[in-house]
Amino acid sequence: MEVLKITDISKNFGGVAAVTGFSMIQRENEITAIIGPNGAGKTTVFNLITGVYPVDLGRMWFYGTEITRTPAHAITALGITRTFQNIRLFRNLNVLDNLKVAFGVKFRYTVWEEMARLSRVRREEREVVDLAKSYLAYFGMEKYATYFPYNLPYGLQRRLELARALMPAPKLLLLDEPGAGLNPREIRELIGTLLKVKEEKKLSIIVVEHHMELVMNSCTTLHVLDFGKKIAEGRPEEIKKNEQVLQAYLGDEV
Amino acid sequence: MEFYLKVLEITCLYTILVLGAYLMTGLTGLFSLGQGGFVSLGAYTAAIAFLKFHLPFPVCIALAVGLGLVVGFVIGLPTLRLHRDYFLLVTFGFGEMVRAALLHLAQLTGGGLGVAGIPKLVGLPTIILSIVVITLIIANLKRSRFGRDCIAIRDDELAATLMGIPVYRHKMKVFILSSAITSYGGALYAFVIMFIEPNLFNWLESAKLIIITFVGGINSITGAIVTSVVYYSFGEFFRFVDVWRDVLLAIAVLLVTIFRSQGIFGNWELTPGKLLFWRRKAV
Repeated sequence: MEVLKITDISKNFGGVAAVTGFSMIQRENEITAIIGPNGAGKTTVFNLITGVYPVDLGRMWFYGTEITRTPAHAITALGITRTFQNIRLFRNLNVLDNLKVAFGVKFRYTVWEEMARLSRVRREEREVVDLAKSYLAYFGMEKYATYFPYNLPYGLQRRLELARALMPAPKLLLLDEPGAGLNPREIRELIGTLLKVKEEKKLSIIVVEHHMELVMNSCTTLHVLDFGKKIAEGRPEEIKKNEQVLQAYLGDEV
Repeated sequence: MEFYLKVLEITCLYTILVLGAYLMTGLTGLFSLGQGGFVSLGAYTAAIAFLKFHLPFPVCIALAVGLGLVVGFVIGLPTLRLHRDYFLLVTFGFGEMVRAALLHLAQLTGGGLGVAGIPKLVGLPTIILSIVVITLIIANLKRSRFGRDCIAIRDDELAATLMGIPVYRHKMKVFILSSAITSYGGALYAFVIMFIEPNLFNWLESAKLIIITFVGGINSITGAIVTSVVYYSFGEFFRFVDVWRDVLLAIAVLLVTIFRSQGIFGNWELTPGKLLFWRRKAV
């Protein structure tokens, strides 16, 4: 089953071609990676998928629904969530509330019911607290429920962002450099977590990553970008031997 | 005694306006200098409807709130696409525009002479009841989805969008609700003070509403209310210090922003639970 299908998307910023003719297909329950040197346009691809920027050319489908021109908030509501390269937690909301915000699209009560705090509001709020706590427990963070995010160590902030992205039970998860700033032990934990989450929540995941250990050990397909163009696609073993990829990373042979 | 009641009345009246500003600037981070425009709009609508068109009092109030909603929507439509300082400038323009319009539409508004002879139909009980209801509404919103979305938008608009929040539409809801509350406050104002004129609420007054929410703490409704009550009653009792009032206020604001940037009350809220617990401890 095709989760996400992208055909020939391009994006220019002024005269800079950030992404040129990028295509990919994401299959269900797989982890895919987009890799490439700095400035290759990896994060831009994420921003195009999630609707942060409109695409200049090309089209995108999510489970057969076209999302090329869908606004960002509606794409999230369809079931694509993401994390950010530089953590973007809400600093004036505590850990629990950060998770609740992410659940927002799933609430059924209306503003009017909220104003009077009718029974449905109270019930759904209780349910979301339970759900948020179960996710905190899942990531071993129960005791931080009332902390504010900026009081948490970096590694935990990353984990919280992941938990937040999982809150609305998405079908596709986009992780923008989930391993950035983590030590080797934490990277191994993260690989375990990703594989576990993928199986348990029946998720498809796309990661943008630099850490080769993480990519090679968890992904089934790799897409390699260089200067906004896709230069290779394949299984990790294939990519490792691909000449063009080596050239992009290490430069030309003298 | 009469004097103190009068002071309390005016203080509570302004607190309604602060609550409107709290929703917009405190919770959602929209800096509007146009609140004064909505106060005048509400006050004039209610007063003119009552005096010139002889409509019953509740209808006048409803009319003022209704117009606040509509004008809020119309003004919000283009301005909410703007960010921070641009939004501030446009709302500032709106407030001054209302003031100029009231001054020049003399046949309807009485121009610079204002509208006099409004009967005093609103007393302290009505105002306090209004504050209680409005506070309850805002507090209820703050602790469920609507309020969390507001704070999320204030903290990081992009991240908020990617949490599935339709940012523009949400800001619109906030703007309309805040305008309605502010117009309602303005309508009450007319029937409390019994006299209104175009300059009664200029942009400086709008700015004060914002300053009060920040000094009280943008994450605390309690802070907004307490600071508002202290500030506006303080103003009446210290009339003898004259122009130095504003200097004192400025110093207080400076001290708070330097030494307690999250506002006096920070994240602290007075909840019924805390109130009961405190009483039990005292007994």
